[in-house]
Amino acid sequence: MYDIPIVALSLQVAFVATGLTLPIGLITAWLLVRKNFRGKFLLDVFVSLPLALPPVVVGYVLLWLVGTQGWVGQISHGLFGSTVAFTWFAAVLASSVVSFPLVVRSFTVALAGVDPKLEVAAKGLGAGSLRTFLTVTLPLAQRGVIAGVLLGFVRALSEFGATIIVAGNIPGRTQTVPTAIFTRISSGDTNSAWRLALVSLVLGVIALAVHNWLLNRPRSFDSSGLDRSDGPPS
Amino acid sequence: MISFNLQMKRSEFRLDATGEFGSGITAVFGPSGAGKSSLLDCLAGSVRPDSGYVQMDKTTWYSSLDKVWVTPENRRVGTVYQDGALFPHLDVKSNIEFGWKLIPEHKRQLDPLELADFMGLSNLMSRGPSTLSGGERQRVAIARSLATMPRLLLLDEPLASLDTARRGSILNYLKRVHAEFDIPMIYVSHSISEVVAISSSAMMLEAGKVVGFDHPTALLPYASKSETIDKFENIFDGVIGSSTDYLTKVEVNGVEISTGRQSKCMGERVMVSLGANQIILAAERPENISARNIIKGKVVETWSNLGKVFVHVDAGPKFIVELTENALKDLGILIGCDVFLVFKSSSVAVFDT
Repeated sequence: MYDIPIVALSLQVAFVATGLTLPIGLITAWLLVRKNFRGKFLLDVFVSLPLALPPVVVGYVLLWLVGTQGWVGQISHGLFGSTVAFTWFAAVLASSVVSFPLVVRSFTVALAGVDPKLEVAAKGLGAGSLRTFLTVTLPLAQRGVIAGVLLGFVRALSEFGATIIVAGNIPGRTQTVPTAIFTRISSGDTNSAWRLALVSLVLGVIALAVHNWLLNRPRSFDSSGLDRSDGPPS
Repeated sequence: MISFNLQMKRSEFRLDATGEFGSGITAVFGPSGAGKSSLLDCLAGSVRPDSGYVQMDKTTWYSSLDKVWVTPENRRVGTVYQDGALFPHLDVKSNIEFGWKLIPEHKRQLDPLELADFMGLSNLMSRGPSTLSGGERQRVAIARSLATMPRLLLLDEPLASLDTARRGSILNYLKRVHAEFDIPMIYVSHSISEVVAISSSAMMLEAGKVVGFDHPTALLPYASKSETIDKFENIFDGVIGSSTDYLTKVEVNGVEISTGRQSKCMGERVMVSLGANQIILAAERPENISARNIIKGKVVETWSNLGKVFVHVDAGPKFIVELTENALKDLGILIGCDVFLVFKSSSVAVFDT
């Protein structure tokens, strides 16, 4: 039963990371899909970069950023008297950054699937940009957005490389399921390693099953053609 | 009144248009790619032109000189698109109420339910947009715009995706809407028949430039030059009259028009359409002729361009007749002459309103 705090911390890290990537990812995806601006290409590359880098490198860059030498670390040191390096929040940062490209990619596809004319129509009816996004764009992109969130959540749960560098592997404080498995395998504790591996498997299967179900489910408003089963024709 | 002066360049396309539209129904027409939709986008504010101004009554919506730009959500311009652009995730009721709900309660002037009733949508309120016919979708789109009491209603080819039978019905709804709500409308179309049927003045665009701005019938000769503009159809409101075995009479503005046999009841309201090139003009009443319609009228106006002539004949309803220049000369038709309109009952199409 000493697995429970590890699983709980892993879930906590993944939930908070997802909570961070959802709004930032939506804004980023919206910028990439609907706006034209200078440096859009660079933003696109920058967003996808963690996908192309070894997670260890991402972790190393993060460590440098949040450490006392990095500007993020200096700000947090000045504000709170400490850096976030080797805390559970560092694990959140690592998970967020690594899952971010996947989340943004799903969101971009989802938002691009919404007819821009509907947004123009909403604005013509008096809805501002934010309201249009919340009442028209988001509901129509809902499926892809939820799918992206789940994908990001799964990726955050399984994050190892960046996490172990920037958050460490401190039992009871920053040890997540993947880093705990690593420790147990290293120390030859195969039975308990397998146990945690099974937990990972179950969580992953559940999230992916929901993800796939969401993407394949027909939407009520997709029913095609003139289905005039109720009400008289006019 | 809306006045504008707009310049906009988008890759190969250049729009340069100036105009002033009153409180009636003004048509903007021209072949596809003429810049009709771009003009509407600039008026609605969904596209920002490169330079110029847009002025609605005393409010400036856009001025490149004074650096004024009013965002679309603050212009209160209703737009009805070709396909309706209804929100697919909302039912008819929520679609109609979308903009209405954004108006502060004490400023709401219309009851969406009454509006739905006016547009004949009362029994569709809980339906999803994908289950509606094209005509129903357009009516929802019109009701949705009206619910916000727009200062201006833009109609971007609202009939283009409808079959002919439904077109007349929407035209009729639009006329009723204009009579009831007194909202200035701009009606964009590539069909000169629709333009003549609905608008009081029309602007013709070609390659981003204004080539004419006049009474719609006066633009007929220009329109006839363009192959992408539909052939002209006379469109009238009528009421079903008596029927024989093979013919049904439709009363249009005091004149009886014989059409093919209709399976409709006497007194039913319909729209009839008749191609301008389907009518023969005769200087005297023809005898022993197979055509079932011989209607006396007076020539009001003629316009000619490139060998084609359009003659405007007032016979109660006002008919537009397309002739060739030679035919006009041979007949010796002058303005004020009495003439006879001759056409077959099978040339007349009858539609539900």
